[in-house]
Amino acid sequence: MRKFIVNVNGNKYEVEVEEVGGVVSSRPAAQPVQEAPKQETVKAEQPAPAPKPQGTEGAIKITAPMPGTILDVKVNVGDKVSKGTLVAILEAMKMENEILAPQDATVASVNVTKGQQVNSGDILFTLN
Amino acid sequence: MATFDKLNELRNKKEGLKLGGGESKISKQHESGKKTARERLSMLLDEGSFVEMDAFVETRGIDFDMQKKKIAGDGVVTGYGTINGRLVFVSSQDFTVIGGSLGEMHARKITKVMDMAMKMGAPFISINDSGGARIEEGIDALGGFGDIFLRNTLASGVIPQISLIMGPCAGGAVYSPAITDFVFMVDKTSHMFITGPQVIKAVTGEDVSFDQLGGAKTHNTTSGVAHFECADEESCFEKVKKLISYLPDNNLTDPDVVECKDDFNRLEAELNEIIPDDPNKPYDMLDVIRKVTDDGEFFEIHEGFAKNIIVGFARFGGKTAGIVANQPKVAAGALDVDASDKAARFVRFCDAFNIPIVTFTDVPGYLPGVKQEHSGIIRHGAKLLYAFSEATVPKVNIITRKAYGGAYIAMNSKHLGADMVLAWPTAEIAVMGPDGAANIIFKKEIAQSEDPINFRKQKIQEYRDKFSNPYVAAARGYVDDVIEPATTRQRIISSLDMLASKRETRPSKKHGNIPL
Repeated sequence: MRKFIVNVNGNKYEVEVEEVGGVVSSRPAAQPVQEAPKQETVKAEQPAPAPKPQGTEGAIKITAPMPGTILDVKVNVGDKVSKGTLVAILEAMKMENEILAPQDATVASVNVTKGQQVNSGDILFTLN
Repeated sequence: MATFDKLNELRNKKEGLKLGGGESKISKQHESGKKTARERLSMLLDEGSFVEMDAFVETRGIDFDMQKKKIAGDGVVTGYGTINGRLVFVSSQDFTVIGGSLGEMHARKITKVMDMAMKMGAPFISINDSGGARIEEGIDALGGFGDIFLRNTLASGVIPQISLIMGPCAGGAVYSPAITDFVFMVDKTSHMFITGPQVIKAVTGEDVSFDQLGGAKTHNTTSGVAHFECADEESCFEKVKKLISYLPDNNLTDPDVVECKDDFNRLEAELNEIIPDDPNKPYDMLDVIRKVTDDGEFFEIHEGFAKNIIVGFARFGGKTAGIVANQPKVAAGALDVDASDKAARFVRFCDAFNIPIVTFTDVPGYLPGVKQEHSGIIRHGAKLLYAFSEATVPKVNIITRKAYGGAYIAMNSKHLGADMVLAWPTAEIAVMGPDGAANIIFKKEIAQSEDPINFRKQKIQEYRDKFSNPYVAAARGYVDDVIEPATTRQRIISSLDMLASKRETRPSKKHGNIPL
């Protein structure tokens, strides 16, 4: 596939030409050149970068079970947690959902801050 | 041959049959942490109650040297026995015989006991430990699967069917357990999948281990295919026996009534304080359930799957009831795709087997979100409405707190035919939560007011005072009574007692068309 830019009366056309292998006995009638859709110049607005996680990423990930707002973060990097320790409160469906540690571990990173909106599956914490 | 020799011949043959695939295969089975087909039956059934059938059946396959591989029994042990004195029919695949693979005659043995289970109206329990279809027997093996699926389907709603996965269960074989009512899996030793990790790697390039793909944990938490995850085979059999104790033998009988020593009128003062003052604070619905059932016992099903809804069996005054309850502690107790499926299937089981349904409602609504909508929450959520509407068994509903919108209707509401709806004074029964409702009703006023924030707050409070209570619904008769939480146990037992003679018919039809 090769691409050409053709100028006709000041109009710019982008033309793609494909080379067909082998002997071609007859060619289909040339199609009128279609104007290529104009290039989108304005880039989509980038979403604000998520706050940088504190600490280094650990092996065990705690993710948001549903979309909501982080109401409170209960642990810091380096804290030891045991299975069932309350690590954060996620408000969703007008309920203060408790996010619990899945097992005994040490908090390796805190990826969210108080008041932050999260989507389901977003990493909230990582543990080691 | 003299009669004496004939007797000896029989004895020798029977001794040989008991060994299945031979001692080396048996020790291999033990090494991999599994019991043999016969050991399993002796653990499941009352001692000495098992009567084997079709032990002499062997394969008719002749291709690929099948004659040389054939072993009497054809890789499955079938028959009947008792569990706590109650008749059950069983099949137990023998992995030591040609890998427990399913051929024509193997399948025919299974379908024979299934047919008998249906005629006699007794539960059917199938223990699965098989390499899958016996390729050497080709289409006859495949046909065998079809014969089993057909009977699973015909028996559905007639006799309880229970599947125990105690080894591999792959390919077509998975669909027999899938049609049955309850699937048990054992950690580490059991797997279920349509195609194994190698095929998946070749087709999609995904790397996945056996356990991640189709182990007990996966199917009990992620896929919901299995209902019980057991640490080992012993605990699995104990759990099956316990489950059977809650069930009737068939759709024309009632579950056994056990003697109840727990006070029918027991008051639970703690229930008066269990609902937090702040409606945004969760509590554990399991605490509520365990306070009102006989001896605080609750046999939970699907414990690890869709934990935002709780289903299981308990007894009230010695009689089995199926419990369906929202769990505010998980995902706010909202109904999502999985929760709807889980509860709808359970409700239909209870209805098929004359088991009254008691629900505990605290539901903020169906779970919003693009993922839920695109996963078909409309289609799945409809199942729950359908299941409750369709059920003609006694239906009792306790509304502990939130009952909002469509989810209020779906959760065993009066409108879907609940016989007794009892609300706690903490109940909030309304079309939607106060925040959302105030935003919509007073949209213009809020926008035009000088102090929109406070005006909005005021309107929310007004709405809350006016509608977030059980009395509006009670004034319409949608709630039969508002009760003190402490009296919940006696009110449930009294309701079920009153409803014991309930008769309700539906228009005759071939069958409905539940949105699947």
